[in-house]
Amino acid sequence: MRQGRYPFIVGMLAAPVTLYVVFVIGPYAQAFYIALTNWHGLAKAPVFIGLDNFRRLFDDEVFWAAVRHHLIILLALPLATIAIALVFSFLLNVAGGRAGRLTGVRGSPVYKVIFFLPQVLAVAVIGVLFQAVYRPDTSGMINGLLAKVGINPVGWLTEPKLALWSIIGVLVWQAVGFYVVLFSAGMASIPQDLFEAAALDGAGRLTLFFRITVPLLWDTLQVGWVYLGILAFDCFAIVQVLSVDRGGPDNATTVLALETWRNAFTYSKFGYASAMGVALFFLTITFAALTLRITRRERIEF
Amino acid sequence: MASNTDTVTAVRPGVVPVRKATRRGPSFGLLNALSHLALVVWALLVIVPIAWTFLASFKTNTEIFGDPWTLPHHWGFDSWGRAWAKAHIGRYMINTIVVVGVATFGTMVLGSMAAYVLARYRFFGNRAIYLMFVSGLTFPVFLALVPLFFVVKNLGLLGTYHGIILVYIAYSLPFTVFFLTAFFRTLPTSVAEAAMIDGCGHMRTFVQVMLPMAKPGLVSITIFNVIGQWNQYLLPIVLLPGDAQDKWLITQGIAGISTTAGYEADWPGLFAALSIAIIPVVIVYIIFQRQIQAGLTAGAVK
Amino acid sequence: MSDNNPADITGLPADPDRRRLLRHVGMTALIAGPGLSMIGACATSGTGSGEPSKTVKAGGNAANPFNVSPTAPLDVVIFKGGLGDEYATQVHEPAYVKKFPQAKIKHEPIVEIGKTLRPRFTGGTNIPDVVANSGTDLMDNNALVADGQLQDLTQLWDAPSIDDPGKKVRDTVLTGAVQSGYVNQKPYLLNYVSSAYGLWYNAKLFQEKGWTPPKTFEEFKTLADKIKAAGMIPYGYAGKNASYYQYWMILISAAKIAGNQVLIDIDNLADGAWKNPAVQQAAAAWAEIGAKYSDKSFLGLIHTEVQTRQNQDKVALYPSGSWLENEQKKQTPKSFEYAVAPTPSVTAADKMPYEAVRVAAGESYFVSAKGENVPGGLEYLRIMLSREGAKGFTEKSGSLTIVKGAEQGLSLSPGLQSVSNVLRAAGDNIVTDNRFELWYKELETELRKQTNLLMFSGLSATEFCDNMQKAADKTKADSSIDKQTRSA
Repeated sequence: MRQGRYPFIVGMLAAPVTLYVVFVIGPYAQAFYIALTNWHGLAKAPVFIGLDNFRRLFDDEVFWAAVRHHLIILLALPLATIAIALVFSFLLNVAGGRAGRLTGVRGSPVYKVIFFLPQVLAVAVIGVLFQAVYRPDTSGMINGLLAKVGINPVGWLTEPKLALWSIIGVLVWQAVGFYVVLFSAGMASIPQDLFEAAALDGAGRLTLFFRITVPLLWDTLQVGWVYLGILAFDCFAIVQVLSVDRGGPDNATTVLALETWRNAFTYSKFGYASAMGVALFFLTITFAALTLRITRRERIEF
Repeated sequence: MASNTDTVTAVRPGVVPVRKATRRGPSFGLLNALSHLALVVWALLVIVPIAWTFLASFKTNTEIFGDPWTLPHHWGFDSWGRAWAKAHIGRYMINTIVVVGVATFGTMVLGSMAAYVLARYRFFGNRAIYLMFVSGLTFPVFLALVPLFFVVKNLGLLGTYHGIILVYIAYSLPFTVFFLTAFFRTLPTSVAEAAMIDGCGHMRTFVQVMLPMAKPGLVSITIFNVIGQWNQYLLPIVLLPGDAQDKWLITQGIAGISTTAGYEADWPGLFAALSIAIIPVVIVYIIFQRQIQAGLTAGAVK
Repeated sequence: MSDNNPADITGLPADPDRRRLLRHVGMTALIAGPGLSMIGACATSGTGSGEPSKTVKAGGNAANPFNVSPTAPLDVVIFKGGLGDEYATQVHEPAYVKKFPQAKIKHEPIVEIGKTLRPRFTGGTNIPDVVANSGTDLMDNNALVADGQLQDLTQLWDAPSIDDPGKKVRDTVLTGAVQSGYVNQKPYLLNYVSSAYGLWYNAKLFQEKGWTPPKTFEEFKTLADKIKAAGMIPYGYAGKNASYYQYWMILISAAKIAGNQVLIDIDNLADGAWKNPAVQQAAAAWAEIGAKYSDKSFLGLIHTEVQTRQNQDKVALYPSGSWLENEQKKQTPKSFEYAVAPTPSVTAADKMPYEAVRVAAGESYFVSAKGENVPGGLEYLRIMLSREGAKGFTEKSGSLTIVKGAEQGLSLSPGLQSVSNVLRAAGDNIVTDNRFELWYKELETELRKQTNLLMFSGLSATEFCDNMQKAADKTKADSSIDKQTRSA
């Protein structure tokens, strides 16, 4: 039986591991080294400067503004997306009980198709789309509506206090559909009898939602939270396309990815940019580890 | 049509003939109406911006910068002609289909090979290789961008499909390996053992027994990868630079159009180009939505 | 000068940096989207210390100052973009052949300059004599100089002009044009196309309403009140991606108050340069316009959105450069006729007159130091700088050159005519361009932010100057940034 086992293992792993090491691990390892240099320009050789770049990060207010924004997005994006998606998937799967069976409300399949739609649009498309949605005068979709009821145009992306939330809105808009489908899948795997038994005992829909659906979906929710968290650490393209002065006004919407990009490709400070990237890496790892730890609970078997 | 459905349901709450339905009383009807309202509102939020883009392609500059909630005066396809002729959307779309098709296929082949071995064989280094792949989930792509550029360039793959496809595969592996490993672990061991006892080699067991059993998981990860690679924006910008313009992918094309349209202030042209980019994707999505949802449902739960 | 902009990597919608890269001419047809010119351009920037340019044998006369061999072939590479290449095939090349009938010209129209020429330069074979280094795939001039590829043009600038042998070529071009082609303190590049910056308006509308462009800020405010009463927004720029249009205006005003030295100090990161009272006065004057006569929604608009609004007569005055008319050509309604005016004077004691205008030269041409026919290349550029050569260029390409007054007598588009008038009125009163924009991107990014705060969010002129001084000091102290200086 053992015959050919190791050749088989090696054969199966050789190609994927080589590819992965060359194109992913290699560049990342280099990036970690670059973060310890003052490399600034492709024609020049990097000089090793130890942890200087990281020391500089501490005094960089733009860096801290970006970190702050990540924390806000990290809380708001998963919270809003998961809450909305959970409610919708509940309505679409369980809430429309008929003839003794608990199914989705009428038109559920259509809703699912529509909600998922933003997921298939490229980020570049969404960016341009929301430029028109948020345009700051009455020619914008939202402000045009507001004008009809006599409200003055709102600077969705120009008011520093509002801009980040407007951008989070786009992220939620895009993400909800995916999680509706994901959670629907989870709900479909919850045995019908559980719901029906509870309904027999007179449980209302709110009870069904909070006492049965949410606990039984905990694993899926947790996975969703991690995905959305990782998304929260990116959101580069949307911020860059939508925000005033890329990350403005006055750094109100900037994110680490954008600052990394700017430092690397606009200022040619590759060393410093890599240091930001490394910081971002540790933030992401910490987040993922924390989330998994905090949300770990006993798995409910059914 | 969605709104029809909900008025119907909303006005006859008592019809829901669940046993003991009487105990639910009128509050249930209100909840029902509210939940339908929420669903309709979200559906509109998704559809309206997309529909607006489509309509805006028929408007003139003056109309686009006037009241956003009016229909175009004149329905002509001039702007579509301009967008099509200048923007090469068709070519970029085909490029993208080729790249994403090959890359996704490669990802699935290499990913399932690695995942299978990691999930089902105990050997020295298994854990280390698994962790190496999984840690890739947390790397911010930015960090690797500059070194990656040089890796690809030094291999002579800059501005080639080979290059971008290999990179796509490499960067899709963490996610793919992570999920497929989990999936292979959940498959019953008895079948594989039986196959081995029947004299199947390792390879045949993998290809003829295990892969078919893993089909639901493979389908769903394939969908994830197609969506992810279709939307990829950063990697093509760096790896298919300006002088490889005939090889550009759709996201670059859209960014390009919106730049060009931005310069010439050809707003109808921009929105026509966006529509051209959106429509085929939406059509394909609607045709395959059943499979997509089924795929997600099958794979995502465990 | 602006041709080695490294920011060009971010090719997202309406990327202002790309626009800046190409701002000198109406190359709109070519702007294709994201590119990677920085990385691409740097691929050749090897470590070559560079050998000094050859000096062409002296002893020529006014008719043939570089001793061109009449039989030597000449290889000319023209970037085939928004300017086309007819100006070369129908004007400059025929003029060269007319002078040296035995010379054969090899004309190469190329779009992807870097991709095509880089291997030829690095390989040292088949090097073209004259190159129009332009477009999204242009080569990094600094790297070319470092590699010893470019011919020092001092001889060209000192040679007698074709039209008036009593004059040197350098005296026939606009002030500052020669200096704009300096790399490492030496003139390696001929920046041929000139752009003027000012306030653009609809000449037809102004005539109809009886409005005239303001000559002082007092007049500016009076006019703005009238414009406001007519239901238009008097002044606006695109805060979302083009706040540099506005800081140009502030810096032009500062230079008018106290002279070009203010801007030179800023470029040199001189101590306290941003706290110069002239900068503060200029910032305060413009901040008042922003607070009273603009609209906050402009902070969220991109340049073409504002330009479209101007075409619809919703905004009256718009700060921009002479590429504007060309850029909006397809969209401009018949009722709209572009015209430009200099920025108004801030005080009665301004050092420069109202007529002073900022001019920048762009579109680099160079002669290859390692080419086969260096004298021929220099002569070709001298022909370009002749009155006829420049006039023909304007005729064929629709852009003005740095040759003083060469466009006179041509029938120009209204906007171009207006630029020509403004340039003539300015004479030698030319406001210099800013180099820090390209030298110190980090400082520039900060300036964009501070400009928006000043114009839209009530930041005071003093705070503006303080913040900018702080940013300039930070740049100065940052050892990872290469410093550059200019003397004029």
